[in-house]
Amino acid sequence: MSDTQPVRRIAEMFIRASCRRLPEDERGERCREWSAELPAILDDTSVRLPLQRAVRALRYSAGISRTTRQLRRASGRPAKAGSAGWRDGAMPVRPAGPGSRMTIGAIVWLIVIFAAVVLLRAHPHPDSWPFIGFLALAAAFDGFCLIDIVRAGEVRYLPKWAWALICLAQCPGGGIVYLCVGRVNRAKSAPPGSAQRP
Amino acid sequence: MCSLAFVKLTKPLERVLRVLLADPVAPHYGYDLMKAASLASGTLYPMLARLQQEGLVDSEWEDRSADAGGRPPRKYYRLTAEGVRVARLELAHASTAPQSTRHVAARPAHGTPGSAL
Repeated sequence: MSDTQPVRRIAEMFIRASCRRLPEDERGERCREWSAELPAILDDTSVRLPLQRAVRALRYSAGISRTTRQLRRASGRPAKAGSAGWRDGAMPVRPAGPGSRMTIGAIVWLIVIFAAVVLLRAHPHPDSWPFIGFLALAAAFDGFCLIDIVRAGEVRYLPKWAWALICLAQCPGGGIVYLCVGRVNRAKSAPPGSAQRP
Repeated sequence: MCSLAFVKLTKPLERVLRVLLADPVAPHYGYDLMKAASLASGTLYPMLARLQQEGLVDSEWEDRSADAGGRPPRKYYRLTAEGVRVARLELAHASTAPQSTRHVAARPAHGTPGSAL
């Protein structure tokens, strides 16, 4: 099926990016294993709509990202051997990384802009309450994001201060990008070693 | 003795073991297990990795010469002999254990414990 190719490529890209968290000796095998599941998902005839299958494949690759994070934690972070760009909690910066999350972020951001434009057209006076409400909401959201960054155990791709700057620079947009790209699920990012079994 | 003492028998783990135990010799690949146990990949694979580490689950690559229709070879999982033994034990124990010790969601209040197996 040729129409599933782009989705498959995006999912494979995502899986490859996730596999970089694994130690080098198991990276290739894991990557091959997980990529080999994609055709089964995308050609799953029990799921009727192609769109549903595509969503499934993307969700599958997102799950792989969670998996590699867990595997890395479980193995006590043997990350320094042989991978120079690795640091605890930070993946190498790769602009071409998780395309799907970027897309989600962009869509949310467009919706926010659209809502703002609609609001402004409906209420042309900037001192009217919906406008102030919108600003207050955006500021509250920004505050939420900043507090989240400060309290997070680890963030992805960029250092914390860079994410904080991004959030401040682009009022709701930076926060949305952070939530989509940089945030690590809090429940699973407990400090390493705290939950190690003996 | 090897047992599942290293990890609590959670609902997802129970489901995976049930699926694997339903046909212990049949090879299962990841998506197959995900569907059968209705789990997300982010739950299934860490679990499989743990089980494999403990020697309860074995994996092997699909034969290249098998009729694959041009798709890449898959990795198949199945229970080891030890795995079958432990899984049977744990599931039997789980179905007879008092319900209060387990996390049971969305189950009628007056369900009969032990009727699942």
